[in-house]
Amino acid sequence: MDHLAAAMIAFGIALGGGAIGAAIGDGLVGNATINGVARQPEARGQLQGIMFIIIGLVEGMYFINLAFGALFVFSLGAK
Amino acid sequence: MRFLADEQPPVTHPTVDLGCGTWCTLNYDSVISSGLAILVTIIAAILIARSMHSDRPNRVQALAEWAFSYVRRTSQENAPDASTFVVPLAATIGFYILIANYLDFLPITLVQDVHPANTDVNQTASMAAVVFVLLHWYNIRLRGFKGYLLYYTRPHELPVWARAIFVPLNIIEEIVKPVTLSLRLFGNLLAGLLMLYVIGLLLPPVLATPVVAIWKLFDVLFIGLIQAFIFMLLTLVYFGLAREGFEQEHSH
Repeated sequence: MDHLAAAMIAFGIALGGGAIGAAIGDGLVGNATINGVARQPEARGQLQGIMFIIIGLVEGMYFINLAFGALFVFSLGAK
Repeated sequence: MRFLADEQPPVTHPTVDLGCGTWCTLNYDSVISSGLAILVTIIAAILIARSMHSDRPNRVQALAEWAFSYVRRTSQENAPDASTFVVPLAATIGFYILIANYLDFLPITLVQDVHPANTDVNQTASMAAVVFVLLHWYNIRLRGFKGYLLYYTRPHELPVWARAIFVPLNIIEEIVKPVTLSLRLFGNLLAGLLMLYVIGLLLPPVLATPVVAIWKLFDVLFIGLIQAFIFMLLTLVYFGLAREGFEQEHSH
């Protein structure tokens, strides 16, 4: 059970750190988009497309953490 | 620890050992689901192509033509001379990933030991490997082998000793590209699947059904589309990045 406990603690740390990063990144993207729309309201459609692409990229790291954490907990920790 | 013992979590794939070493195993569930996705992709592409009329375009044709012209335009902006093979590659990859993700709407996970195609890292890594190999082949063809080696000493305007420091960084950058490309898709899709598993564990069945339905709608419709799009877009952008600095060097 020691492996499982270690894996779960590591999972929690990885998820927490990843969530902080993803949240900050999403906030920055939203901030920039709002600034852009406020400056040029007619560019809204274009900016929204770009915003979702960047959000997908930013959250990629978080989901990589989540997948690897789950891998550690379920496959390696269960041994 | 009930949930570790009761049922298999969705991260374990049933493997067949081909009997030739540690790296020589086969996840047959991924073969089934990706084969299904390939079949559907081919059939859908043939159906769309056959239903096309140049004089009276229907709705599917308009959508397909819009998507394809977007890929072609992005490719022209990024790597104009590579469009002949990058456009089919990126369009096929994007369409295949989209179909493979949208197949998650079908209850294929109910079949014993079958998971959605992109929740296996081998699956996404193989697509990233194709992109990686073509990328470097294109780079060598563009600059010649010597120019390709010099490409790793970017930025070229620095003195020689500073460029030597940048060599390992550039090599890491090239290796990280396919790794993040595959892991991003894999992580997003696997997270969606894990979420279903966790919802099923934590909530009573009455509550779990609508929550699963909402999550599935969001995850497959939105994340599936965005990840397919990002994979396709990054393929195009990487080919554009491979040309970085090429114009300035050869313009004078």
